[in-house]
Amino acid sequence: MKVERTAVLTVPRTRRRLLRRLDSRVSPYLFVTPFFVIFGIFGLFPLVYTGWISLTDRNLLNPVSHFIGLQNYTQLIHDSYFWNAVENTFGIWFLSTVPQLALALVIAHVLNTKLHARTFFRMAVLLPQVTSLVAVALIFTQMFGHDYGFVNWVLGLVGIHHVYWEAGRLSSWVALSVMVMWRWTGYNALIYLAAMQAIPEELYEAAAVDGARRWRQFVHVTVPMLRPTIIFTVIISTIGGLQLFTEPYLFQPNVSGGTGGSGRQYQTIVMYLYEKFLGSSQFKFGYASAIAWCLVLLIGVFALVNYLIVGRIRSAEA
Amino acid sequence: MTSIPYAIPRRRARHAVARRFEAAGPLTYLFLILVVLGSIFPLYWSLVVASHTNAAVYAYPPKLLPGGNLFHNIHRLFNAGIVNVDFAKALANSAIVSTVVTVSVVFFSALAGFAFAKLDFRGRKLLFVLVLATLFVPVQLGLIPLYIEMKHFGWLDNIKAVIAPNLVTAFGVFLMRQYIVGAVPSELVAAARVDGCNTWRVFWHVVMPAVRPIAAVLGLLTFMMSWNDYLWPYIVLNARNPTVQVAVSDIATVAYVPDYSLILTGCFVSILPLLAVFLLLGRQIIGGIMQGAIKG
Amino acid sequence: MNGSTTSRRRRKATAAVIAVAAMVTAVCFVASSATAAHRDAITLTVDVFGDFGYKDLYAQYQQSHPGITIKEDTEQYAPHHTALAQHLATGAGADDIEAIEVGYIAQFAAQPQNFVDLRQYGASDLKSRYPAWKYDQAVSSNGSVIGLGTDVGSLGICYRTDLFKKAGLPTDPATLGKMWPTWSKFLAVGQQFQSKIGANGPKFIDSGSNLYNAIIAQANPAYYNAQGKVIAASNPKIKGAWDTTMQAISMGLDKGLSAFSNDWNTGFKKGTFATVTCPAWMMGYIQGQAPATKGKWNIAPVPGGGGSWGGSFLTVTKQSQHPAEAADLVKFLTSPASELYVFQHTGNLPSEIPVLTSKAVQSFTNPFFSGAPVGKIFAGSALALKPQVLGPHQGDYQTAASNAIQRVEQKKQSANASWQQFLTDVQNVGG
Repeated sequence: MKVERTAVLTVPRTRRRLLRRLDSRVSPYLFVTPFFVIFGIFGLFPLVYTGWISLTDRNLLNPVSHFIGLQNYTQLIHDSYFWNAVENTFGIWFLSTVPQLALALVIAHVLNTKLHARTFFRMAVLLPQVTSLVAVALIFTQMFGHDYGFVNWVLGLVGIHHVYWEAGRLSSWVALSVMVMWRWTGYNALIYLAAMQAIPEELYEAAAVDGARRWRQFVHVTVPMLRPTIIFTVIISTIGGLQLFTEPYLFQPNVSGGTGGSGRQYQTIVMYLYEKFLGSSQFKFGYASAIAWCLVLLIGVFALVNYLIVGRIRSAEA
Repeated sequence: MTSIPYAIPRRRARHAVARRFEAAGPLTYLFLILVVLGSIFPLYWSLVVASHTNAAVYAYPPKLLPGGNLFHNIHRLFNAGIVNVDFAKALANSAIVSTVVTVSVVFFSALAGFAFAKLDFRGRKLLFVLVLATLFVPVQLGLIPLYIEMKHFGWLDNIKAVIAPNLVTAFGVFLMRQYIVGAVPSELVAAARVDGCNTWRVFWHVVMPAVRPIAAVLGLLTFMMSWNDYLWPYIVLNARNPTVQVAVSDIATVAYVPDYSLILTGCFVSILPLLAVFLLLGRQIIGGIMQGAIKG
Repeated sequence: MNGSTTSRRRRKATAAVIAVAAMVTAVCFVASSATAAHRDAITLTVDVFGDFGYKDLYAQYQQSHPGITIKEDTEQYAPHHTALAQHLATGAGADDIEAIEVGYIAQFAAQPQNFVDLRQYGASDLKSRYPAWKYDQAVSSNGSVIGLGTDVGSLGICYRTDLFKKAGLPTDPATLGKMWPTWSKFLAVGQQFQSKIGANGPKFIDSGSNLYNAIIAQANPAYYNAQGKVIAASNPKIKGAWDTTMQAISMGLDKGLSAFSNDWNTGFKKGTFATVTCPAWMMGYIQGQAPATKGKWNIAPVPGGGGSWGGSFLTVTKQSQHPAEAADLVKFLTSPASELYVFQHTGNLPSEIPVLTSKAVQSFTNPFFSGAPVGKIFAGSALALKPQVLGPHQGDYQTAASNAIQRVEQKKQSANASWQQFLTDVQNVGG
């Protein structure tokens, strides 16, 4: 039987080997091709092409566009609304990220104990992450209403006069930061928790031998050991935070039309991009593209700066 | 972002926790309960508003308990004559978009992840570095040319425009690659080859079964992301053929007279499907996020 | 064993094929479900902003035209016109019938290639119904008629009689009209009101931008001169309207709500302000917002003489698959009978002379507004109306001005700084 099989297989063996070589040569490329092709068409190409459009005066209403060099960028540098949007974006980012990550660390630390109903707590903490940005924005907008909002009612109970959250610059930033924080704190807490559980036991034992109590263990062992994770979350929140759009766009949705309040007090960079792109009847695609590229640049630079700042955690500890 | 092996030493970690800390005290529980209340309250609040009439929204002090108007409001939500948005269609659109995107992302990510993890080919490292780089590039900022592309394809106002750009993600490829490196023994791949499997069959018979756990996690996260996506669908779709997020935001922005009981009913209904998934599979989602965190 | 492996492999391969096929089908399904919109019956889509009061009329039309279904989309004022511009430029997404407000009509009349010339469907025969200016606003430079007029927005002052009484002011419209022939006299009455009611009670006016827009509505020229040049910065009438508004704010007469916001809507219900400058369409809005305040309102003549704020047109876009049917619906919706119906049920003032002069309008009183002869008040000033020169960015300037006023109301900027920023905004819109 064995002989028979060999005999049958001898003839096509070379072809089969050829096929097999072809398979091992070509298949890997075939496997990664869908990703690169689709990503190229809908991800990379548009991003690069944005660069080209930003050098033109392209406008939805004009059939022809012209190369105008860096004119959009020079105009942008002198555009006070753009810098206003940059300021708002960073302000909201800072107000939401710093307390958010600090709180997430504390929650993670607390969750990292022997708990009853552990899964319940973890799920409850993560619940906001499931809620869509649109729902978050609309629910909180209602809660932050001036005359009949829940938040002002609670503040009224402790004798604080109604805050016109949407109207003020800082107050609108605070309200928006609360929305961002609410949605992301639990998520970050779980990431920290995962990283905490991977910290080697020996480090705590050593600290315990040195007589460090729980809080000191947290500061001297946990936080330094979480450095890579903290860097990761800061960078993720930088990338996300600088692209903030939905919450401010839907804050008082029936009035603003995307300008972020009458004084543009909470207009973010992406909102301004959208205003120039499709939000007003200007349709300045070239100019909006310049904003997009500046935003990419800002994100890159800022992520790097954060990386360097957070990177100092350990050096400070050491 | 370097190669800490994907599979985490879970058992050891849990053991360590048990030894490291004494049981949590009452203060810990109090703190956690406050956190939980904070997490749940806005959702509860949306239910409260959604179950009253719009007039009750302007009651002062505000009504803190749910009322009896929820089903009436849901009824209104699905009445296109009242909201000017086809909410049933929006739900159907979102279901189609999220399902197609999820299946596609999981499949293509596994395919590419397998190639990067277990196959030898020229340029592998370089290509994978490319994937890594795109992880941190905010590609969604290419939305202006993307809009022009869609206009060119004639896909504006069509959910194809929402599906196509999301069919693959760098994150998915990365996640799959990291998982397959640890979860699929190279010997198994080799053995399958000796058995006469070509690469596709190795993928289908050996890799796909092995990646099921991470595929579930990636699928869930992708589905959530796709369901909740707003800016891009908002740009390319209109009120007559929206996704659920676009529909809800339209209900909120379109009317001269914002009917908050209706708006928050929309929010509530739009959250329900994900809430159900979350309650059923929350444990896996948490596991996925935490596992994903380690490799970061 | 060999055989079984092969068959298993084949089965798995089949499974793979099925999986891929399923995905392809899914994609195709998506594709087809979106494109296969053919129906035997015709659906006409109408895109409006706010409430045009057409619901009953659609039902009526559908009944007399079997096979036609009408769907209405509604949006906010500014986004509606922005989206329309976008849809026309991309060549997709516009409805069969699009409503355009007077602030934007010049912008769209400049692109006749995107609209059906309604002369093909007998618009020229309807010309005599309209005041010449109303008809001409929707005529392009090449002579094509892109839209037919719906309503005009002549002005009055809506006021709360109960609050006026409390402040010891007369509540009779005619007397009030005599008390405030000009806007400065209007503010003087406001001061009287406020000193009686107190600074913490209801305010005399709702929103600075409503006051401003009413004054602007009476100005001609306003933002554009007859040559189509933007004169916002140099026109003393604009600055005059601004200064009057600033005066109202500094006198403490202004509640400072932004028009169409939540708090403004609620203000109608709670009576947090005593007057609103009232284009005719505002009547419908108040009735919809605060049905419980029926009988507490009345309408007096507006200071400074007649003026028009608002008023719209219905157009048929070139994107329509059924231009003939759409044009017929437009003619129905703008017919005298329809305009009268809308006036009686919603409040939007007809734009056609025979309707304005008809007994039905002239004798129409509205019980919601204490039985005020709203027909006479509004129709009278509409017939006397002299139109404003319009330009393409009228609507954008109006929005910029509202924002500028709000910045002062919310104490974010001084009146001067805000005015300067408004001028910059106007420049940016143009550029």
